[in-house]
Amino acid sequence: MKHKKLKNIFIGLVLFFLYLPIIVLVVYSFNTSKMNIVFEGFTFDWYKNLFNNRDLIEAFINTLIIAVTSTVVSTIIGTLGAVGLNKYDFKFKSFINLLIYIPIVIPEIVLGISLLSIYTLTKIELGMFTLILSHIAFSIPFVIVSVRSTLSSTLKTYEEAAKDLGANSMNTFFKVTLPQMMPGVISGAILAFTLSLDDVVISYFTSGPGSNTLPLKIYSMIKTGISPDVNALSTLMLLATMIILTTSAIIQSRKIVGGTK
Amino acid sequence: MKKGDRFFKFITLSPIVIYTSLLILLPLIYIFFLSFCKNDSYGGIIYDFTLSNYIAIFDITYLNIFVKSSLIAFIATFICICISYPFALILRERSENLQNLMTKLIMIPFLTNSLIRTYGWIVLLRKNGIVNSILITSGLIENPLSLMYNNLGIIIGMSYTLLPFMVLPVCSSVFKIDNTLIEAARDLGAKPWAIFKKIIIPETISGVFNGSLMVFIPAIGYFFISDILGGGKAMIIGNLIKNQFLTARNWPFGSAISIFLIIITFFLVWIYRKLGGKLDDLGGM
Amino acid sequence: MKYIKLLIIIVSLILVTGCNRSSDYDGVLNVLNWSSYIPDSVIHDFEEEYNIKVNYGTYSSNEELLAKVTSSKEGTYDLVFPSDYMVELMKEKNIIMKLDKDKILNYYNIDDTFLHQSYDPYNEYSLPFLSTVVVIAVNEANITDNITGYNDLLMSKYKNNIVILDDQRIVIGMSLMALGYDMNETDPKALKEAEEWLIKLKQNIKAYDSDSPKTFFITDEVDIGIMWSAEAILARDENPNINIIYPSEGHAISMDNYVILKGSKNVDNAYLFIDYLLRDDVSKKIIAEYPYISPNKSIYNTISLDDIFNKGYYVENIGSNIKEYDKLWADIK
Repeated sequence: MKHKKLKNIFIGLVLFFLYLPIIVLVVYSFNTSKMNIVFEGFTFDWYKNLFNNRDLIEAFINTLIIAVTSTVVSTIIGTLGAVGLNKYDFKFKSFINLLIYIPIVIPEIVLGISLLSIYTLTKIELGMFTLILSHIAFSIPFVIVSVRSTLSSTLKTYEEAAKDLGANSMNTFFKVTLPQMMPGVISGAILAFTLSLDDVVISYFTSGPGSNTLPLKIYSMIKTGISPDVNALSTLMLLATMIILTTSAIIQSRKIVGGTK
Repeated sequence: MKKGDRFFKFITLSPIVIYTSLLILLPLIYIFFLSFCKNDSYGGIIYDFTLSNYIAIFDITYLNIFVKSSLIAFIATFICICISYPFALILRERSENLQNLMTKLIMIPFLTNSLIRTYGWIVLLRKNGIVNSILITSGLIENPLSLMYNNLGIIIGMSYTLLPFMVLPVCSSVFKIDNTLIEAARDLGAKPWAIFKKIIIPETISGVFNGSLMVFIPAIGYFFISDILGGGKAMIIGNLIKNQFLTARNWPFGSAISIFLIIITFFLVWIYRKLGGKLDDLGGM
Repeated sequence: MKYIKLLIIIVSLILVTGCNRSSDYDGVLNVLNWSSYIPDSVIHDFEEEYNIKVNYGTYSSNEELLAKVTSSKEGTYDLVFPSDYMVELMKEKNIIMKLDKDKILNYYNIDDTFLHQSYDPYNEYSLPFLSTVVVIAVNEANITDNITGYNDLLMSKYKNNIVILDDQRIVIGMSLMALGYDMNETDPKALKEAEEWLIKLKQNIKAYDSDSPKTFFITDEVDIGIMWSAEAILARDENPNINIIYPSEGHAISMDNYVILKGSKNVDNAYLFIDYLLRDDVSKKIIAEYPYISPNKSIYNTISLDDIFNKGYYVENIGSNIKEYDKLWADIK
C-alpha cells in the first residue's frame, strides 16, 4: 500500500501549496513586528488599526455597493437573456450568442481598456457609475452560462403544458420557468458577486475619483510598502468567506434532509 | 404570436441585445478602429489611417515581450496541468464525498482576494523570507535564493492564482470517465499505459484544454502579478498594454496589441471547439 | 421569491448608507497626487476642518498623471501635482487654469528660491508643493566600496542588488548623465549608448519601484538604491548604515506643483486645500512623515538649496522624441 500513501502525500502537498500563503498571512497578522520576517510577539493592534482606517472602510463600502448593484442587475439581465435566447429565434441570435462569450474568453485587460476607451469617447465621468457598468459587463455572460445549464428539455415540456392550460408567457415564466432555473440563477449570482469583489484589472482602468475599491486599495497598500494591516484585513476576509461557505453548506444539507422526509 | 408573448419576448431579449451591443460590440469596434489611427506626441489620437501600429508589434523589442510573456504563461499552464491532472486521477478512485470536499477546499483560497494571496507569496519568497530562512537554517543552501523579483516569482504567482481554473475543469472531465470503459479495456488485457493513452487522455483532452485556456489567457494579462512578484522588471503583455494606455499614452498601439491578443484568443478557442469542447463549459466554474 | 426580497433589502440598505455618506459633507475635492506624499492624517484633518470630502487618488509617474487626466472627462479631477516639465506640457495642452493668488493667503510662506522656475517663470499656473532630488542610497554595512556616481554601479559584483525608480525619464536621463550627455539628450547616437549603458546596469537591477523603494532596504532585499531623497532618508531612519550620495555626474531634480485643472467644478475647495497645505504647521506634518524638500520658509531643509538648484537638472519636454524614449524603455525592461 505504499502506492496509496504516495498518492495521499501528493494530495496533501497540493493543499499545502494552496493554503501556504494564506496561513502565513493569518499568522503574521498577529505579529508585533511590522516587517513580516520574524514572529516577535502576539498583538491585535493591526486589527484595531484596520477599524480606524477610514479610507479602507470607505473602499470596503464602495466594493459592496458595486458588487451588490452589479450582481442584481447582471443577474436580472442575464436570467431574462438566457430565457429569451433559449425560447425565441431572431435575426442576429447566433451572433449575439457568440458575443456573449467574448468577456469570458478575452483577457480582462482587453475588456478593461476597451471600456475605458468608450467612456472617454462618450465623455462619461469615471467613478462609481462606470465601475458598476463595467462589472455588469463582465458578469452577465457568467450568469447566462450558469442559468442556461438549468434550462433543460424537460423544462420546455412543462412550459408547453402550462401554456396549454391557458397560462400566458408572464405566468409561465414566474410559475414554471423561474423556480426550475433558480439553482442556476443563484449560482450565477454568487459567481457574479465573487468576481466583482475580487476584480482588480477591469476596475483599475475604469475607476475614478472617490470610487476606490477594496482590491484597488489593497493594490496601492502593497505597492507603497509593507503593512500588516493588509494581513489583518485578509484574515478577516478569509473568515467571512469561510462563514458564508459553511452556512451555505449547512443550508444545503438541511435541504437535502428536508427533501427526503 | 400573441400580444403578451410579444411583450415577453421584448422584455427578455431587449436588455441582452442592448448589453451586447453597447458593452461588448461597441467597445471592441472602437478599439479596432483606434488600432488603425495615429497618435500625436502628447497622446492625442489623430483620426488618420495607418498600419504602423500593427507593423510595430513585429518590432524585435515587442516581439521579445510577446515571446517571453507567452513562455511564462505556458510554463504556468504546464505547472497547473502537472498538479491538476494527477490530483484528479487520484481523487477519481475515492468516494464522492471526498471529491466534493476536495473541490470545496480548492475553491476556498480562490474566493479570497487574489491580491492578498499574491501578497502572501512576498512574505514567503523574499530574500530573507520564510522559504529562504528554512532552507538556510536546515543547511541546504548557504546564500539566499532569488525566488522573486524575477521570472520565477511571476511563474509561481501565476500558477498559484490560476490553479483553480485548471483543477475544476480537469476534475470534472476526469470524474466523468465511464468506469465500465476502463474495466472492459482491462478485461481485454490492456496495459495501464494503453488505457491511459487510449481512454483517459481522449476523454479528458477537452477538459485539460478548457483549463489551459482559462490559465494561459489571464496569465498573459495579469499585470498586477508581474508588478508585485516581478519587481516591475519583467514586462508581460498585460504590462505592455497597461503602459500604452496609462503611461506612454499611445492608445492606438495599445489597441493594436489588444486586437492581436483577441485574434490569438479566438484561435485558441477555435482549437478548443475542434477538440470537442463546449463554449458553455468555459464560463462554468 | 425569498431571495429577491432579501436582495432588495440589501440593495436599499447599501444605497441608503451610500447616499448618506456623501451628503454629510458641504463639498468635495477630487485630488490626484503622487503615492506616499501627503499623510492620511493631514487629509482627514482638512476634511474635518472644512467639512469637505477629499477623494484622493494616486499615481507613480508624471506620464501616468497626464494619461489619467486626459482620458477622463473634463472636470473629473480638480487638483493635481505635476512635476516641472509636466506643468509646462499641461500648460501647452491648455488643460490647466491660471491661479488666482489672492485666494491663496499663505502664498507668502513660500521661499522665493522655489519660485520663478523655468517651466513657469511667473508662477501663473503653478506653485511649488515639494521638491526632491534623485540620490544613490548605499547600505554601507554590506558595501564597503567608495561609490561616488552612477558609473560605479555597473560593477558586476552588485548583481541583483539595486532598486531603481520606475520612471523612464529619470532613468534614461541618469544613463545619459553617466555618459556625459545632457539629461534630456535626444540624439539617436546618444540614446543608443544610453541603451547599452542601461543594459549593462540591468544585470544589477533587482527591481524597478517608484512607490516605495525604501521597502527594499528595510527588508534587506538590496544594498543600493537610486531613489527620491525622502525615500532614502526614510530608509536611513530605519537603518543608520545607509549613506546618501549625490552622484558626481549630476542629479535630477524634480519640483512638484499645485495645479488646478481646467473645467474643475470645485475650484474654491481646491484653493482652500492649497492654502491649507501651505500652512506652517501642516507643512511640518507633511515633512515629518515624508522628508522631502519643502518650499515653506519656516522649514529648515537639511539639504542645501544651492546644491539642489545649481547642480541639479530638470527633466525637460522633448516633443515627439518621447516615442524613442518609450521604445528604449520597453527595450531595456
